[in-house]
Amino acid sequence: MEEHNVTEFNDWCPGCGDFGILRAEDLALEELKFDYKNFVVVSGIGCSGKAPHFFSHKISGVHMLHGRALAFAAGIKLSNPSLNVLIEAGDGDTFGIGAGHFVNAGRRNIDMTLLVHDNGVYGLTKGQASPTLHRGEKTKSLPKPNINDAINPIALALSVGYTFVARGFAYDVNGTKELIKKAIQHKGMALVDVLQPCPTYNDINTNEWYRKRVYNMDINPVVDKLEEIPQKISAAITKSYEWEEKIPLGIFYQNELVPTFEERLKESMPDYMDNYPSVQKIEENGEATTVYDKLLQARKVA
Amino acid sequence: MRLSWMIGGAQGLGVDTSANLFGSAVAKAGYYLYGNREYYSNIKGRHSYFNVVIGSKPYRSISEKVNILASFDAETVFQHFTSVTDFLIYDKASEIVKAETVRSMENEITEKVVKELESNGFGTSISDVIQYLNKRGVKCIPVTYVDEINTVINNLKIPPPVAGKAKNTVAIGASYALLGLKADYLRSAIKEQFGKNDLFYNMNMLAAEAGMKYAKANYNMEELQISDGRVQIDGNTLSAMGKIAGGLRFQSYYPITPASDESTYIEANQVVQTSTGGSGGVVVVQSEDELAAINMAIGSSLTGARSATATSGPGFSLMSEGISWAGMNEVPVLITYYMRGAPATGLPTRSGQADLKFALNVGHGEFPRIIIASGDHEEVFYDAIYGLNLAERYQTPVIHIIEKGLANAYSVLDMKTFSGPKIAIERGLLSEGGDGYKRFAFSENGISPRAFLGKASIFYTGDEHNEMGHITEESINRRIIYEKRLKKLETADKEIMEESMVNVYGEAENVILLWGASKGVALDAMEELNEKGVYVEVVQVRMFNPYPKEYMRKILSNKRRIIALESNYYAQGAEVLTEKTGITPTASILKWTGRPILLDELVSAIEDVVVHNKKRVVLDGGA
Repeated sequence: MEEHNVTEFNDWCPGCGDFGILRAEDLALEELKFDYKNFVVVSGIGCSGKAPHFFSHKISGVHMLHGRALAFAAGIKLSNPSLNVLIEAGDGDTFGIGAGHFVNAGRRNIDMTLLVHDNGVYGLTKGQASPTLHRGEKTKSLPKPNINDAINPIALALSVGYTFVARGFAYDVNGTKELIKKAIQHKGMALVDVLQPCPTYNDINTNEWYRKRVYNMDINPVVDKLEEIPQKISAAITKSYEWEEKIPLGIFYQNELVPTFEERLKESMPDYMDNYPSVQKIEENGEATTVYDKLLQARKVA
Repeated sequence: MRLSWMIGGAQGLGVDTSANLFGSAVAKAGYYLYGNREYYSNIKGRHSYFNVVIGSKPYRSISEKVNILASFDAETVFQHFTSVTDFLIYDKASEIVKAETVRSMENEITEKVVKELESNGFGTSISDVIQYLNKRGVKCIPVTYVDEINTVINNLKIPPPVAGKAKNTVAIGASYALLGLKADYLRSAIKEQFGKNDLFYNMNMLAAEAGMKYAKANYNMEELQISDGRVQIDGNTLSAMGKIAGGLRFQSYYPITPASDESTYIEANQVVQTSTGGSGGVVVVQSEDELAAINMAIGSSLTGARSATATSGPGFSLMSEGISWAGMNEVPVLITYYMRGAPATGLPTRSGQADLKFALNVGHGEFPRIIIASGDHEEVFYDAIYGLNLAERYQTPVIHIIEKGLANAYSVLDMKTFSGPKIAIERGLLSEGGDGYKRFAFSENGISPRAFLGKASIFYTGDEHNEMGHITEESINRRIIYEKRLKKLETADKEIMEESMVNVYGEAENVILLWGASKGVALDAMEELNEKGVYVEVVQVRMFNPYPKEYMRKILSNKRRIIALESNYYAQGAEVLTEKTGITPTASILKWTGRPILLDELVSAIEDVVVHNKKRVVLDGGA
């Protein structure tokens, strides 16, 4: 991986968890040694959305609309499965405005990684409650305590088909880096939900608050046989409800036995993995080369 | 020769299949056809009908008046009896049925039917309708469907629910016999349609033979020579086929009427071969919503694959934010916009042109949106290819408008219409990327060389950005890059010949100004009016952005009347003309009932304007 001089000024607040996540990503990329041309980071909107512009490594970055990064990334990956696609989105992005895409990405199991910056607030719009803020909590800029229940990202991901589900903590850079690497190497749709303090707007789930609670869990998340799936999923879901006193970090679930969407496409398009849409030649000397005679003949009546 | 045939029945009972079968038989005898399909937003039980116009040359419209109405239920008779001029084929057993007892019929229709019959001194049953029609010289052919179906059941040992579907074919047999064409054409059409399944084949043959015994040749149609092959094809399929031929390799969509048929056709035919001996495939993704559909297509496009989506009004509304992002990031993407009756869910299975200005202005902000609108089936096919080319040439979203009427209608046309000269593919300005690549490099004409993801370090952002694609809010950069994006539309305006954005037919002091699917009916009306000594010119706008300003000024100057013909309330296409050229139409003929503009109502509306100087005529013909 080629290091390049970052020219973009990083405008995140001092102390923001985003820095830890970005550092973990940079380290993961360094260790994975990808060709920079083949690494695409697709992000949503919010503080985290700017991440692709701030990478120390040379990559390609697509800063998408609020909530749509996952759907957008699917289009990139399916037309060019040789690219490594990392989606970087906020908790509002993923579980609020983009919740439908989050759910359906699980059903498809495309070989991509979703990294969620999970801080409980909408930072860039000045601290409103995000879908992961727990009920009854009143962070700094809320006029009243939050009256919505929180989404449990881990349990939700498990129930809709994500085949790699993990949780990291933004200031555990090394641990998060390892999770990101494993998620990227995983064959299938991976979620890494990264808990992060927002020093500006979330005065409840602070760095100290997290540090007192987080611990590395000791479970075997890997599915070796199809029969194990229900048991592994229920164990992981149970684990994901630990929150108030202790918050487990690490991999909750990992299953490479489910065919990816790419493999499913291969069933109807046998040469898909080598001859995917972006490499197909559609013209020669400006003339179309796709044969459609048979389609026309099928409609022949006389 | 122009002959109009209609078949109706409850949705789900095979009306479409029957119309295709009948059409295919008549086409074999050398005739051209245009068939319009009308149906409710419903799966089973509501009234649907197919109106097929047969001609010794291609026609592109249907009429209010139908020569032959083929029916096998009471509702079809009640819905359409006032339109029939020559023959009604009906179920003998339905004679006692009264209009008030047909529960699937909407109250407004029942009231209209009862009023028509009672005001003419009749009761409200089918036998009253028969008398009403007899008085007007219409011959009514009673068919004892029960007997015919029983014969099928007994001879072929087919269960009654399956055999019931043979009713349609009995009606087709009777209709076909009236035409006076050789029975073998119908037999061979049945063979083609049902030949793969012995049971269905035998059942339909038996039913058709039985049907043919009910009628004698009346029209004595002659067999016509066919020099090349002919195809029977609908608008959805043609758009899909155009996209495939034009090199589409990714289509994402969310199910919506009347757009989905296009995507399912592409998926069914996704594996393709190339003339250079290669193969390939189109990835088709049914997404979770239209937000995902448009954004997947945009994402796919960044990799270099030709990408598109297809939707109609409600879905297009959801796509607007994504289209704005594509405009900001100069992404080629084709959106096939199947226009239907709006606002809201509106008339989901009917046609309309009320979203033109929405399409022109879709997405927040100023960015180039290229808009093309097809007027007939041939245009649908070539515009789909053209749309893919324009999107890549100008690196911006292209919206291809196809109305529901055209999407669901079928034509029988010469095969060579669609397999003529080689299809040109223009991929626009490309770059191999590499180090130092700038996706949004400033240029004279606004177009920057486009490299695909995987070829360089490339950045995109919905925020305002610099040449590298990094965020910047700096004023001077904003001024320049904003202008660069819009300059692409000026470039398109300069490069695309204005003459190619408009079709002009005939020359007269009275001009019918239209866009989209009413092209067909206007051309048919023009011919009919010529015979009456009323002359009109038809001007069809095919592209709205860029707009053929100078050419329109030239062709519309010194005209006595400019009559806007549109399927909306405001004559939106004419409003665009005024905005771009200052020219205001002098009269309008409008229809927003969701049904196609009918030939006979249009002829009399044009006469109202041209002869009687009416300024605004509102149409509502068709059931």
